[in-house]
Amino acid sequence: MTCSYTPVIGLEIHVQLATATKLFCACPTGYIGAVPNSNVCPVCLGLPGTLPVPNARAVEFTLRTALALGCSVQRGTRFHRKNYFYPDLPKAYQISQYDLPLGLGGSLDVRTDGDVHRIRITRVHMEEDAGKLVHACGDGRLSGADHSLADYNRAGIPLMEIVSEPDIRTPREAREYVAELRRLVRCLDVSDGDMESGSLRVDANISVKCSDGRWGSKVEIKNMNSLRALERALDFEIVRQTAVLEKGETVFQETRHWDDVSGHTRSSRSKEEAHDYRYFPDPDLPPLFFEESWVTSIAATLPELPWMRRERYASTFGLSGDDVGVFLEDRCLAEYFDALVGAGVTPSRAANWIRTEVLRVLNEVGGGMVAFPVAAAELASLLAAVERRELSVTAAREVFDAMHKEHLSFEKASRRCGIASGNLGENALKDLLRSVLEENADVVEEIRSGGDVKGKKIRFLQGLVMRKARGQANPESVLQLLEDMLRGEQ
Amino acid sequence: MELWQLPAWRITEAVVRGELSVSEVVETHLARLRTHNPEIFALLTVTEKEALRRAAELDERHARGEEPGLLAGVPVVLKDNMCTRGVRTTCGSRMLENWIPPYDASVVTSLEAAGAVILGKANMDEFAMGSSTEHSAFGFTANPWDLSRVPGGSSGGSAAAVAAGFAPLALGSDTGGSIRQPAAFCGVHGLKPTYGLVSRYGLVAFASSLDQIGPFARDVGDLALALDAIAAPDPKDATCGTEPRPRYLDAMMTDSLRGRRIGLVKEFSGFDVDPELRNTLVHAARVCQDAGAELVDISLPVTIGFGLACYYILAPAEASSNLARYDGVRYGLRAEGDTLLEQYFRTRGAGFGKEVKRRILTGTYVLSSGYYDAYYLTAQKVRRRIVQEFAQVFSGVDAILLPTSPCLPFRRGELVDDPIRMYLTDVFTLPVNLAGLPGLSLCTGYAKNGLPLSVQLVGKAWSEQQLLGTAAVLESRFGTPRIAPLETKTHFKGGERL
Amino acid sequence: MFRTTQSEEALCMTVSEDEVRRVAALIRLEVHEEEIPSFQRHFNDILTQFHSLERLDVTGVDPFAMDEVRKTLLRDDIPGTWNLRDEALDAAPVREGDFFRVPRILGEAE
Repeated sequence: MTCSYTPVIGLEIHVQLATATKLFCACPTGYIGAVPNSNVCPVCLGLPGTLPVPNARAVEFTLRTALALGCSVQRGTRFHRKNYFYPDLPKAYQISQYDLPLGLGGSLDVRTDGDVHRIRITRVHMEEDAGKLVHACGDGRLSGADHSLADYNRAGIPLMEIVSEPDIRTPREAREYVAELRRLVRCLDVSDGDMESGSLRVDANISVKCSDGRWGSKVEIKNMNSLRALERALDFEIVRQTAVLEKGETVFQETRHWDDVSGHTRSSRSKEEAHDYRYFPDPDLPPLFFEESWVTSIAATLPELPWMRRERYASTFGLSGDDVGVFLEDRCLAEYFDALVGAGVTPSRAANWIRTEVLRVLNEVGGGMVAFPVAAAELASLLAAVERRELSVTAAREVFDAMHKEHLSFEKASRRCGIASGNLGENALKDLLRSVLEENADVVEEIRSGGDVKGKKIRFLQGLVMRKARGQANPESVLQLLEDMLRGEQ
Repeated sequence: MELWQLPAWRITEAVVRGELSVSEVVETHLARLRTHNPEIFALLTVTEKEALRRAAELDERHARGEEPGLLAGVPVVLKDNMCTRGVRTTCGSRMLENWIPPYDASVVTSLEAAGAVILGKANMDEFAMGSSTEHSAFGFTANPWDLSRVPGGSSGGSAAAVAAGFAPLALGSDTGGSIRQPAAFCGVHGLKPTYGLVSRYGLVAFASSLDQIGPFARDVGDLALALDAIAAPDPKDATCGTEPRPRYLDAMMTDSLRGRRIGLVKEFSGFDVDPELRNTLVHAARVCQDAGAELVDISLPVTIGFGLACYYILAPAEASSNLARYDGVRYGLRAEGDTLLEQYFRTRGAGFGKEVKRRILTGTYVLSSGYYDAYYLTAQKVRRRIVQEFAQVFSGVDAILLPTSPCLPFRRGELVDDPIRMYLTDVFTLPVNLAGLPGLSLCTGYAKNGLPLSVQLVGKAWSEQQLLGTAAVLESRFGTPRIAPLETKTHFKGGERL
Repeated sequence: MFRTTQSEEALCMTVSEDEVRRVAALIRLEVHEEEIPSFQRHFNDILTQFHSLERLDVTGVDPFAMDEVRKTLLRDDIPGTWNLRDEALDAAPVREGDFFRVPRILGEAE
């Protein structure tokens, strides 16, 4: 019996919020690389008698995200306790949210190969992260470890959980959903959104539907640490589950871990009983009531969201898909582009210059756009000169180098390079001279052997250079340079 | 009058005037403690060295002209579930027998800022679960009025310390009556403030939505003084109200109850209340009337009829979650196991006593899948009804007068194996916690057999000033409670430590 | 996400010894066989008391009604460092360097 199989995918994404402190205490959030258990306090250690107090910025960040996703904000949103035992959980319960999350409903449009599919968002809520366990055995894995070590530096870090409805239809779409969410959280400045370092974690729920009406059980997949891993893991699962159903067997409902090395998902320890988390509202935390005005002001001051920017760049500026892609990954870069265009630079030239020159500098120097020393207005002046043909591209590059290396304004940098407005830089001029000298080797020989007493021949060469430079050179400087070169000093 | 018989407000006055040194005050109280704590066993830990060092420091600061605090020189005893940095805090449990907190509870910081001197930590029912202090893992605290009887619980040690004259002031915690009932049993006054008036940061949690810290004293003025020192907003406790607190000492100016309406609860008449306790209630009502108050009959059928059952679902539920962190990993007792699971089971099996286990089990059950709606959720709805009932009653009265406990202090061992009967002794106190209202147990005199008598006053939320004022008027008629005459006790001793 | 509502059945049931064992396992509490009957009795005593609540009409009561809206207490996002972490680590029943140590994790959660 052959039937066609359709994957049904839902994603749960945990985003670490880029706040300065943990969710319920004032411990700093920078725990990566810190000495174990150095970033802790009585509250996040769950010492007897301690109490949680929510971080206002974490609430704001979650609110911002929920609004950007079109969720409805729940008045009187509450925290619940999720009770279970594990050594990385200091209080033996995680403070999370249950039936009154901060945001409900909402959606995210995902584009794959020109096709747009709306994925519904079930909920957006806040919860605290757990600590980390180090398992003492060769490969650091849990099974076979003689004992384990607990580090609570990460315990209490604020997390935002975004749950989608099972509307995602392909691994490709899943990948693009996560990529778009990642763009969103970065654009909103609420998170680094980095899967490799763990500030964005993805768990997938995938089942396979058969066209004859049979439906495989939902399987949870964990441990996918990159977009590529996500796609590969889901591809693998579809094949695996389809094979099971084709044999007429049932897909076992379980949690599986993705093993990137082997390219397989593996069944994790199967538990005899499902967890009973005994959720109940946390009595230490009164419900949160937001001022309407606060919510409205957050909604009103949302930055341009990735999909809005994408639309604007593609339709208004006619930028290529590639260009748009680059700008969507880095909001600062996109804002720089907007500033250049706003200062009169044509979109295609601005995009081009950013993707070539600016990115080159950023790659060399590091530090990101935040540390980039050339103000958009200054670069705009440079590019305007290029546009007016006052400056060749070569000369422009020279000036640009001076601008970013020595933090100079366009004017200062041009003077520095010996280019008065509209003139060639020294190096460009020298190249030009050399080419003229090469082309007129006989005249050079004559001058060198002393046959230019009246200076007519050198003036002839000067004229050639001036013609080649199309007026972008100072005649006196050219003469001086020629003399130096002919004397062999250049 | 002996120094250790003085109320806190007199001590602090004398210290401020330079008539008494703090060292003198502390030494005198420590001496009494040393003599009589062995037979009473009110205190688990006596911090003698620290107290004397602090007393010397305070004297030095006063000599330099530093502004003395509200509780300058007052010795205070703390129930052993309040975290004291560097001083062991056991909660009356094997689980925390040797735990030394690395931080101070907010009330401890407040007391020290006010110039008080902490003498030590008081015995209690394990993790505040109990009504007799018989559930302490470390021994029995005797009622100073009769060493064969219980001091009440769970703050039995704190109440006994004040009744015995070890300190004029003690702090306890009240979740279902754990301040008021021992106050009644030990013949002292005890106040459970409105939920959210005093910070819970540093109070080891039993039931988070019900717990409150409050003072024991032998003088209503001392209750007010203590409240002035500890009732304040606290950014470390999200359930602690941010409203400014009034000056509670001002309540002591009240000398008339004209215009006040006092409610008398009809329903308790159906209960088996000791006749002498009934009489003292009638007497108290008359005193209020004579002072100008209007007596109003009120009805609390939901509260009296269903409060107990509601409490014994909600409190254990919260406790089961609050006590899950005791697993031998980060602090406290660890019983060895080959695997983590074994460690969990054995640690919690060995660390917790029977009553705590009972409540953890019931609490887990009512929260577990399949039972949450039927039990926990229903209990929350009943709680809501109780809150509404009180609100309705308080639209017609300013305070409610009712018994604290239906019985006089019972004998040691009498109820310890009958949990339900023990729970019933809290029938008049625990609804007050459910509604988050302030409740004050006032000692009104002594029964024929010498055991203390009391009445309970309950007020509207945040009405402590009025409540204390009413209590002050009653005290001016009944007289201030005496200190138990320990010198004449011949009954068997308490404090059999294991 | 949704709990089965077994209100009716739950209220009529008495708690069995197996239930006691199940709950004890759930809350990681070692309970000896001899103790089971007394815990079971206690359970049933409490729940019998509770069944009296059936007489109370709670229809339409919102258990988590927020008619007393308090000003929500939130914390500003300003870091503070706690420098007594050594005292916390010293309290560890078994400490290994900068870590809290636990035995072999077998058959436990997550």
